[in-house]
Amino acid sequence: MPAPSLTVTIAGIQMKNPLTVGSGTYGHHGRFSQFFPVDVMGALFPKTIRSYRWPGNPPPRVHEVPAGLHSSVGIPCNDWSYFLDHDVPVLRSLNVPVIQSVIGRTEDEYVEIARKCSALGVFSGLELNLSCPNTKQGGVDFGYDADASFRLVRRVRDATTLPVIAKLAPDYSSLTKVAKSVEAAGADAISLVNAPRAMCIDYRTRKPIIGNKIGSLSGAAIKPMAVYMVWEVYQAVSIPLFGMGGVTDYRDVIEFMAAGARSVAFGTINYVDPMALPRALADLTAWLTENAIDDVNDLVGAAHDKTNQITIGVQAPERVRASVDG
Amino acid sequence: MDTISPKRVKACRSTIRLSGTRAVSREAITSSSEQVLTQAPDISSRTDVRFEQILASVVFNEHLTGDYWLIEVEAPTIAGRLSPGQFVNIRIDGSLAPYLRRPFSVYRLSPDRRRLQVAYKLLGQGSRLMKSTMPQGGVCDLVGPFGRGFRLPENARRIAVIGRGIGIAALPTLVDDAAKRGIEVHGFLSARTAPNLVALDIFASHGFPVVTHTDEQSQGMVTDHLVAVAEKLDFDGFYVCGSNRLARAVHALADRKHARAEVAMEQHMACGFGDCHGCVVQVNLEPSGRDKAFREVCHYGPVFDTWEIVNASA
Repeated sequence: MPAPSLTVTIAGIQMKNPLTVGSGTYGHHGRFSQFFPVDVMGALFPKTIRSYRWPGNPPPRVHEVPAGLHSSVGIPCNDWSYFLDHDVPVLRSLNVPVIQSVIGRTEDEYVEIARKCSALGVFSGLELNLSCPNTKQGGVDFGYDADASFRLVRRVRDATTLPVIAKLAPDYSSLTKVAKSVEAAGADAISLVNAPRAMCIDYRTRKPIIGNKIGSLSGAAIKPMAVYMVWEVYQAVSIPLFGMGGVTDYRDVIEFMAAGARSVAFGTINYVDPMALPRALADLTAWLTENAIDDVNDLVGAAHDKTNQITIGVQAPERVRASVDG
Repeated sequence: MDTISPKRVKACRSTIRLSGTRAVSREAITSSSEQVLTQAPDISSRTDVRFEQILASVVFNEHLTGDYWLIEVEAPTIAGRLSPGQFVNIRIDGSLAPYLRRPFSVYRLSPDRRRLQVAYKLLGQGSRLMKSTMPQGGVCDLVGPFGRGFRLPENARRIAVIGRGIGIAALPTLVDDAAKRGIEVHGFLSARTAPNLVALDIFASHGFPVVTHTDEQSQGMVTDHLVAVAEKLDFDGFYVCGSNRLARAVHALADRKHARAEVAMEQHMACGFGDCHGCVVQVNLEPSGRDKAFREVCHYGPVFDTWEIVNASA
């Protein structure tokens, strides 16, 4: 039996398999290479960078919860020259597509870091981390606001020739609106979800545990929420999706692809089980073979019933309603 | 097609899941968010990091003393390169709560450096699972060695080690190492109750003097004894673990005596190898304390000079 085809193309970036890592869960590559060679994965998302130096949030930054990690690290970042001297040479030497995640506090800062990254000729794409408070618009995250997301993506789109991937915040009320607006603004792909906001309070002190008070939740606990959001956005846009949120093994990869993701990222699990990604790749390959699926792309969107779309608020069929009423 | 072979992955197959983060006193690590920090972390500059994940065979897992248990595993590649004060990260198979690995200091290495021991306190769900899911002949999923350990001065002749509670468990590898180098070690150990004073036998086996202190029977602090001894004897280094209060007291003493002093820090931790940036503490960048920065305990530590830590948090 021939080996299944694992190649996926997303935003014009060819990946030899659909697996990648969520930005910020794999550093800039250096240390993880001690666990497995980076070219095992289809593409690399290094840690988010800024155009300016940033110390990150005060400790404690992480707090464990059942099946998850509550954290607020604050995306610490060295200055640009440090990135050029220490990280870029490593990233340049890798034989996988590198999609650099970037963030800013204003549109101008996003544009600046996007321009600088594009000029290096190292990256295959740029991911815009939209989960940053817009300091010129009352501190609301770009990713919660369809208009702000549109303007931001449009400005970055005009500033670079690289594929632009918008990473959405997991906000139920604005999700599809923002997804459609970044598509209209010229985004080549969407990645979702970023870690949802969360808080833990110490019952003894009645105060938030994390130094920044407000943090996020990641890990296995958020997977069903993330799968739903991928499913919802898949129906709303036609650009491809990077899916992520609590991925642990090959079964989760299949689940996200069935919901509509063309590529799937491993995140918090990298901290717990550094070999999770290569093992999932082997298991996925074996599963495809066993199930006679010869192209991994056949999984994308498989959960969607194309003839009878189900959306939230749809009326239950008569028969079901009758039994509920009765 | 280019994939990693299933066979190769099987070698590191570990459906193992996790464990808790280590708790640390809140007061010791809170800092002001308004404070302007002058430097961001730059840990990627260090190229000497070497660690790995192994599924180690459990030699034994049994009661040590008081609330403490001791697990010994076959881990030649990690034990072989571990230096005193470094730590390992252990995961419990199949657990979602706790979800993360848990950092542990290495209690002791076998003389041939093929096996390592970890002492742990039966405290919560994580440690109970560590006791029940890793029986003799079973498997322990560990990653390491991580961090920067203790540094003994070149020509040291006499050092003092000061430990409190589970912090004592980080000291025996240092004591063994010092003994091998002909350095005289004085132990100052403190715990809530006498049975929780671990490692007394290790000091005794080297013939090193130990002063003990328990909350139920002793007055003052164990460092009161240290100060008294240090009036009569010269120490080339002080090594503290397990209490920020002790660290402050030792720092003041060492400062007066112009000796080096180091402290092993604890912090909530996720990855253990410097990628998540979760386990930072605020440190002084120079002894005056003027410039400060956040530093990852897993990478810049867990052992710091006391001047880096004492009074570093606003």
